[in-house]
Amino acid sequence: MAEGATILRIENVTKQFGKLRAVNGVSLDIVDGEFFTIVGPSGSGKTTLLRMLAGLEKPSAGDVFLRGNRVNDVPANKRPTCMVFQSLALFNHRTVGQNIEFSLKMRGVSRAARRERCVELMDVVRLPQDYYAKGVTKCSGGERQRVALARALASDPDIMFFDEPLSAIDYQLRKLLEVELKDLHRETGKTFVYITHSLEEAMVMSDRIGIMQSGRLIQIGSPDEIYTQPLNKFVSEFMGEVNTLPVQAGTDGKFDCPDLGTQLVGPSPSTSANGSQTGYLVIRPESMRFLNDPSEADNHIKGSLFNEYAMGSRVQYHVRAGSQMLVVEKLREMAFRGSVNDDVIIGWDVKDSVLVSD
Amino acid sequence: MQKGKRWVNSLIIVWTSVLILFFFVPIAGVIISSFGHSRYFSFPVKKWSFKWYDQTINANLTENLHVTSFYVAGCVAAIALVLGFFGALAFARYDWKGRIFYQRLIMLPIFFPQAVLGLALLLWFTYIGVLPSWEAAVFAHLVWIVPIVTLIISIQVYGFDVSQEEAAFDLGANRWQVFREVTMPALAPGLFSGGLFAFLLSWGNFPLSTYTSGADSTVTEWLYTKMSSGYTPMIPTMGAFSVYGSIIILFAGYLFLIARRRRAEKRA
Amino acid sequence: MASTLDAWPPPLPQPGPLRSFGLWLRQPGFLSASPVLLFFLIGFVGPLVIVLGFSFLPERTFGFHGDWTVENYTRILSDSYYISFLWSFGLATATVVCCLLISYPVSYGLARVFGRWAAPVMLILVIPLFVSENVRLFGWYLVLLKGGGILAGSVKWLFDLDTGTLLYSNGSTLMGMIYVYLPYTLFPTTLGLSLVPRDQMDAASDLGANRWQIFREVELPIAMPGILIGSLLTFVLAVGAISEAKMLGGANIVVVAHAILHEFTYAQNWPLGSAISMFAIAITCILVIFIMRRLDLDRLLGRK
Repeated sequence: MAEGATILRIENVTKQFGKLRAVNGVSLDIVDGEFFTIVGPSGSGKTTLLRMLAGLEKPSAGDVFLRGNRVNDVPANKRPTCMVFQSLALFNHRTVGQNIEFSLKMRGVSRAARRERCVELMDVVRLPQDYYAKGVTKCSGGERQRVALARALASDPDIMFFDEPLSAIDYQLRKLLEVELKDLHRETGKTFVYITHSLEEAMVMSDRIGIMQSGRLIQIGSPDEIYTQPLNKFVSEFMGEVNTLPVQAGTDGKFDCPDLGTQLVGPSPSTSANGSQTGYLVIRPESMRFLNDPSEADNHIKGSLFNEYAMGSRVQYHVRAGSQMLVVEKLREMAFRGSVNDDVIIGWDVKDSVLVSD
Repeated sequence: MQKGKRWVNSLIIVWTSVLILFFFVPIAGVIISSFGHSRYFSFPVKKWSFKWYDQTINANLTENLHVTSFYVAGCVAAIALVLGFFGALAFARYDWKGRIFYQRLIMLPIFFPQAVLGLALLLWFTYIGVLPSWEAAVFAHLVWIVPIVTLIISIQVYGFDVSQEEAAFDLGANRWQVFREVTMPALAPGLFSGGLFAFLLSWGNFPLSTYTSGADSTVTEWLYTKMSSGYTPMIPTMGAFSVYGSIIILFAGYLFLIARRRRAEKRA
Repeated sequence: MASTLDAWPPPLPQPGPLRSFGLWLRQPGFLSASPVLLFFLIGFVGPLVIVLGFSFLPERTFGFHGDWTVENYTRILSDSYYISFLWSFGLATATVVCCLLISYPVSYGLARVFGRWAAPVMLILVIPLFVSENVRLFGWYLVLLKGGGILAGSVKWLFDLDTGTLLYSNGSTLMGMIYVYLPYTLFPTTLGLSLVPRDQMDAASDLGANRWQIFREVELPIAMPGILIGSLLTFVLAVGAISEAKMLGGANIVVVAHAILHEFTYAQNWPLGSAISMFAIAITCILVIFIMRRLDLDRLLGRK
């Protein structure tokens, strides 16, 4: 976790639209200079939260503090923050230069000084200098992204907000820009608050991640923490394919898995306090492995190989056991030699599993 | 659609060309007859001359008519732009309760027989004690032109990304600056077409003018009266002027738009 | 590190009915619409109400004195006034049908065939619109005039034939109406056709449909809003047409607009004129409302 002072403190913030509560009592501290990403599915309230932080919406309840000052009533144009919008919101009727210099123009900076700063910024975001007089409608998708970035950076804001800027572009460009954004963060040292619906994207770039669902903040932690210790089923499934086995407390501190018809050992003994509560045992695909003999791992399951998928550097196997479809991932070099419909045994060690609630 | 349907496409092109010719036949007729020398019209034109152009330009009457028409059209364009601008924002941009109803409501004056509207306005003016005059004609024109201008500007507004305004705000502009730097320039093409349309539609309008302008007469009204009473070559000459005027205004507008775009690209 | 779920905060208060109305009035959309709405009230609703009022007055009155009567309406139905309605509606319907048939191929061309040339072609087609309707109709008068008219003159000069009168017939009136109102059909139809995605038509073709089927199943339904607006506009305006019949049709054809005008000027019978107007207004309003309710204007005009 990053060291440093809190730059943005969010206390119990709620936003209500008529009957709909988009953001429901969210509290959060963002550290100066960190790259914090809020992740959640559509409708989870993340955009609304970001807009409140940027000053484009007012909280219905709760407070936002910027460097210790309450800014609920401070409008966006007076906050030392800048946002990169999902649609980029470039001024289509203006050139690249005019877009980037806009915030400086609003502050009354002289034309020469503006031009100087613009030249600097265009270098930072890696735009060719001869684009200065080019109309933004003539720029490609990637170039427009860079213009939007430069424009937001121009007034040297304390915090930069990003509203899913990469969601509408193709895979190649997105991967490239993810890396560039992370580099930009390191170069400028500014606080970045980013939102996205893709956990994968968040993991690549962030220092810390907050997961939102239905207006609430469910879990905050570093990418590693979220990945290895998800708090509940929602968070664990958010990261894509994981194996989620519904279990109930059984005898001897073990767990019963009705779907598979076996008993499993969990990371910690099951207590009678769990009772008949359904929990989930979560195992990541890369922690699953094929066994020649059940004794090779703490837990094992017998099933049949349903299909295999070659995915570049890894291979993914789907194994059917009982009513469950389990996913095993192996690196290409360590691919499993078997064919579809073979009987297989797969297993994992308890240290690689997590017990989560609903 | 397969490009292979060449013959269908050719047919369409021929059909369209014929239609274009059809559109311009009477206009050509008007222009041709304006060059005739004699007092009565006959074709083929036996003697070509500019005599009637001369007479028309010099007549005082002509000047009055054109001035009246110009005032009316100018006022209509100016007022229609203002009303239409806000009307278009309400039509296309703000999501508000009652918007759909509003959209349908203000379209009504467009789908309305103009002569009936003119008479209704005459009745209304008499009732509230307004005398028919060119100002009354301005009002009458506005009733059906404001919805049209609203529609035209709305089309531009639909294509406007509202988050541009938020971005400008976020970057430090106050509300007035957002309007001046982002909203207006982005909507300017729509405003320009709207104004142009308003001017031209008002200029060429007859049914509404005739009932409401009273003693002040516009070019179109004069043409109608003359056409019903007796032929004089001044009619086609005036008509020809209308044609030239429209073409000039349209092309001027078109060139203005292009020049503006070039200038904007050079400026930065 | 990991945060926990917060307890439910208490629900926030909702505004009451009176305050809701106040809030509704203060919506930026309504505020923006208010100038137009006010103007609409004064300029459109006001006159119509007056016409409505006058239509219930006894003939030859010019002010509201309180004698209400329906004699004007009964007179329309019993006397021959309804004939002019038949003329107007008949002509208007014929105009709409002809305009649709003529403009559809052109619209299709503008939307699909002309490509880069579509904009210049549209500009060329728009130019005549800005020349006053009267001027253009006068041009046709000159062309069709017997004896010295352009058409007659050319034919005589070229072939030494005598054409009879081409003017003052139903045909010439209809032609005049088609001429004037064609753009009002053409442009909305083009707009409607531009909504049809090309790939849907390709998909239909790929699935085995022939041209006629594609037209019926894909093109027509999607372009229908534009076609409807074009037809409606043409019809309503054609019903109110006044110049074509007078200049090209002669005294045989008396359209509704003439009948109304007659009552207002020569006959000095404002109430009757108002009643006839109300008839025309009522019929067009019913049509307009019926069709407009089915249209999604946002989609038609290009909302993203």
